[in-house]
Amino acid sequence: MWADTLLIVFISVCTAFLGEGLTWLMVYRTEKYQKLKAEVERQSKRLEKRKEAHGDSLDKQHKKKIEREEERLKNNNRDLSFVKMKSMFAIGFAFTALLSMFNSIFDGRVVARLPFQPLTWIQGLSHRNLPGEDYYECSFIFLYILCTMSIRQNIQKLLGFAPSRAASKQGNGLFGPTPGQFK
Amino acid sequence: MSTKTNTLERSNEKQLTSIWTRAYTANSEWPDKDEFLDVIYWARQAIGIILGICWGLIPLKGFIGLFLFVIVNAGIIYFYFTNFQNIDEEEYGGVWELCKEGFMTSFAGFLVTWIIIYSGLHYGSENNIL
Repeated sequence: MWADTLLIVFISVCTAFLGEGLTWLMVYRTEKYQKLKAEVERQSKRLEKRKEAHGDSLDKQHKKKIEREEERLKNNNRDLSFVKMKSMFAIGFAFTALLSMFNSIFDGRVVARLPFQPLTWIQGLSHRNLPGEDYYECSFIFLYILCTMSIRQNIQKLLGFAPSRAASKQGNGLFGPTPGQFK
Repeated sequence: MSTKTNTLERSNEKQLTSIWTRAYTANSEWPDKDEFLDVIYWARQAIGIILGICWGLIPLKGFIGLFLFVIVNAGIIYFYFTNFQNIDEEEYGGVWELCKEGFMTSFAGFLVTWIIIYSGLHYGSENNIL
């Protein structure tokens, strides 16, 4: 089982680098993205500091200022998401094709033996396309998803592409905090 | 110009080593919160992989393995920031925020190593028959 499992780890390392490489080529290196990212980070940090300083005060002026900054941050976050979206679609399509190719290669093959029986709602994933009812058997897709979860995020962090903590805390992308939550 | 870059490089180097030494030294000062959170994050990843290898070698089976991982992982990190570094948790948004930092990635890394070592060492021959 070593060969299959290590091959899957290798595949997910390669796809993670490929994904990050493509995103760098299409998004990260562009001036617009870099400017927006710096702006979002700067604003998030400023907003966090302001909230810490005046979060509990009932001063209307401070509240209004915070609301205005939140609105600006939300707009910038939305712009940042739109810049990313184009490449995300392209990468999504490429990865769906790659995944279906790997799925057909590993179709019906037990790649590993799980040391625990997964919960019923995960069994659909961990036993996907496998014959029999031994739920300790692990399918390609389950191990691949786990590998991607750990490897991709670590690679993003190592390469410095992960969003900063301040920005994620203030809400990222289209699902950011609503302005006026301090009302 | 070159002296300027050299000084910059040296100061960067100094900063880089100081994060490492501060991480290993008790009661260190952490002026930049992100630096400390990064230390917690990477420590978590290392703990996840080490525990995954240990659980696979023993071999631990069933939900007790998952449960023990959560306890040991959170326990070590909790001990590290309360007893070893003695930081004020409230500055970082409370104990929960620190316990959450990098947990899911570490959990995924743990599962991958546990599954690979466990099935590789204890079920290698079955695959050949299949």
